[in-house]
Amino acid sequence: MNRVQNFKLILWTIIGVGAAVAAARFIFGLGATTNLSDAVPWGLWIGFDVMSGVALAGGGFVITATVYIFKLDKYHGIVRPAVLTALLGYVAVAVGLLFDLGLPWNIWHMIIFWNPHSPLFEVGWCVMLYLTVLLLEFFPVPAAEFGWLSTIRNFLIKLRMPLVIAGIALSTLHQSSLGSLFLVMPFNVHPLWYSPIMPIMFFVSAIGLGLMMVSFESRFTSYLYRKEAETELLAKLGNAAKWIFLLYLLMRFGDLFLRGQIGHIFAGGWQVKMFWVEIAISAAIPLILLSIKRVRTTGAWQWVISIMAITGIVLNRINVGGMVHLNRGDTFYLPAWTEITITATVVAGAALVFLFMVERFNVWEVRPVDPKADPSTLPEFDYASQASLGRPLIAARTKYSLAFVFAAAFGFMLLSNQSLSSEGVIAASVEEARGGDTLWVDGDLDGYGVSFQHQMHIDKNGNETSCVQCHHMNLPLDENTGCYACHRDMYIPTDAFGHDWHSSPHGGNLSCFKCHQEDQHKNAETAQQCDHCHDNLYPAGATIKVDNYHAPGYVDALHELCIGCHVKLIEETGSPDIARCANCHNDQRDVVEAVDGTKENILIGNVALP
Amino acid sequence: MKAILTDTTKCIGCRECVVACKKTYDLERDVPRRWGTDDGLSARNWTSIIEKPDGKFIRKQCRHCIEPACVSSCPVGALKKTAEGPVIYDSKRCLGCRYCMMACPYGIPRYDWDQPVPYVRKCIMCYERLLDGGQPACTEACPTEATIFGDRKELLAEAHRRIKENPDKYINKVWGEHEIGGTQVLYISDIDLSCLTYGRPLDDKPLPSRTTAAMHAVPYAFVGMGSAMAGLSWFIGRRMKLQGNSESDTKDEGNE
Repeated sequence: MNRVQNFKLILWTIIGVGAAVAAARFIFGLGATTNLSDAVPWGLWIGFDVMSGVALAGGGFVITATVYIFKLDKYHGIVRPAVLTALLGYVAVAVGLLFDLGLPWNIWHMIIFWNPHSPLFEVGWCVMLYLTVLLLEFFPVPAAEFGWLSTIRNFLIKLRMPLVIAGIALSTLHQSSLGSLFLVMPFNVHPLWYSPIMPIMFFVSAIGLGLMMVSFESRFTSYLYRKEAETELLAKLGNAAKWIFLLYLLMRFGDLFLRGQIGHIFAGGWQVKMFWVEIAISAAIPLILLSIKRVRTTGAWQWVISIMAITGIVLNRINVGGMVHLNRGDTFYLPAWTEITITATVVAGAALVFLFMVERFNVWEVRPVDPKADPSTLPEFDYASQASLGRPLIAARTKYSLAFVFAAAFGFMLLSNQSLSSEGVIAASVEEARGGDTLWVDGDLDGYGVSFQHQMHIDKNGNETSCVQCHHMNLPLDENTGCYACHRDMYIPTDAFGHDWHSSPHGGNLSCFKCHQEDQHKNAETAQQCDHCHDNLYPAGATIKVDNYHAPGYVDALHELCIGCHVKLIEETGSPDIARCANCHNDQRDVVEAVDGTKENILIGNVALP
Repeated sequence: MKAILTDTTKCIGCRECVVACKKTYDLERDVPRRWGTDDGLSARNWTSIIEKPDGKFIRKQCRHCIEPACVSSCPVGALKKTAEGPVIYDSKRCLGCRYCMMACPYGIPRYDWDQPVPYVRKCIMCYERLLDGGQPACTEACPTEATIFGDRKELLAEAHRRIKENPDKYINKVWGEHEIGGTQVLYISDIDLSCLTYGRPLDDKPLPSRTTAAMHAVPYAFVGMGSAMAGLSWFIGRRMKLQGNSESDTKDEGNE
């Protein structure tokens, strides 16, 4: 049964990497671990983990309705796996939500602070209630193994019909309320998707997806445990799903037609292409394939159809969940690898629990047996050394643990990357100011800068003696070093010392002990100061004292330099205008398209303070 | 209800409103960040100046809608519409679901993406200052009275008066008078302000009313679906019994 073990090994590896990412998510925050932004506040975790997770769990209510309400007994064998899938799906939704919420420890606030007008309030309550119902529905299965639970078990079995009915009613609300979430955004959601009947379309597509999910899960576990596939039963499910897909397509296109938005399907743009791909794989192609009897009764086609339809409807949820929002000036969002890892981890965790349940309890009529895990088999020997590897089952556990630990270490290694900057500041290197008596100070060359009247400042501040009021440090062998030489980034503090240069044979080529004392730890505190070697770094009378070699960002450095003096000048001149932003930032610019098509910032005038 | 009227023809782009806002709420310095937008708003900038060609400036801030989508969508009521007009935020209730950010048609609420304990941030029209009988810091700081504070009715009358006096100068529209049920931050302008809604035209229907029908249907859908299922189950069970194939399939399984 190596298939199962290998599959579990992959799942444990994913969870290992995910554990490292999860730690980073809660330590550094959402900005460092996702590609979400003010323009795209919802991403993969809402679109897939929550929106699709709920839809994928739709098999639970569809199959319980089929068996207990419509009393189609032939589907009885797939009730338990369907309910288990739904239960784990909802647990995965809740766990995925904990990663996405900014303040997940406040999730219980939904119980005490009510806003019944909010669709998300309805979603939250449906998750809580339906999760409870699913737990009660599934509880008798594991409870059968424990005699002392038989009283509760029998009580729950008597309660089955009310539970099934409550489950179906809650699912109806919940599946549709995910569509209601987007009703409040008529101007954000693309007109091909926005519709007042989104709640109903979400409900119908969830039924189709539920059937396809049951079909996929049955085929996959049959493959995994080398069990005979339920091809005939799945063909009947496919036949039912066909009508759902037809209904869904009629609703989508009928709605577009009635709302007069049908013209959009021929318009250009990537959203329209996305619409056609989604329609094709979520309903149209599955509908055609399922209509052909020979196709829907073939095992290989059942794989194809179920995977295609699942992908398609998940794509629909991701699209409505944020992908096709006409958001904030065409901001494009692609999930970060950390986001994908967390999503995969949640799915992997649910899959492991599913396999555990299937192996440990009577989820299926026949429990799968791992021949190697049978305790009666002899211990395995490593024949080279004749060492016992212990019972195969234990050996597998060791393997899983190792996979988890190594994967977690690998995950932490990936995270130590620079990309995990929780500040999110975009690096912008600084260029020298240009000009003569009037300097054009525009560090990042974006066209917005300050015309600094250098000569005027020299004249007003005492000619030759005034230089040191601003020029507080010179690089070795230099005079009048410009600000840009040390303050090398617009916003990020930069290293003005250059340790690597000093120690490199291609640079200073100095031995450690030139700066560090022999019997002390080598760090910045115990090292000799720069003026130990360089006696001309600070010009005589410099007003700004350098106390460490992390030069602040260019903007901070210049603001600190200018604003202090200008605020003092308010008293001398009696005019507050001298310390206003617009006193220096007074250029009015316009983006003009040049003849060759490039954009240029052209100075068009000055802001005049009143 | 209190309101703010911004006349873009008077704005000189000096950003005194931005500075006053940041001083009032002790907001940290901000820099361009990965998750930022080009309109200048962020968790640390609750108001900003958008520069337009020909030396035109538009001040962006929360519009304090009369029927706010953010308030209706917050699942825990962390956002609240006050009687005085401002839409305020209670960080103690917030879950961090960011549904308000999705719901706002103006894209106003911003998030503390860099914080491990993040909150939603937006202009609250200096609610505390209003309660003390004052006016918002931004309108107080404006040196050209381009943005003024007052009663909404009076400001609307003032806006229409200015347009009437200078019909050639202004576009004949008060932004915020009717869209999505009206807002309490009003604009008059000589240039088109559709950039405030990212070019999307809004209609006059309040956004919360879009979900009302679906939310009112909830109890009926629950009871209706529940009773339909119970009825169907009973009906199908009875028919099967009458047809003679009454092997109960729900009971035997419980005793296995």
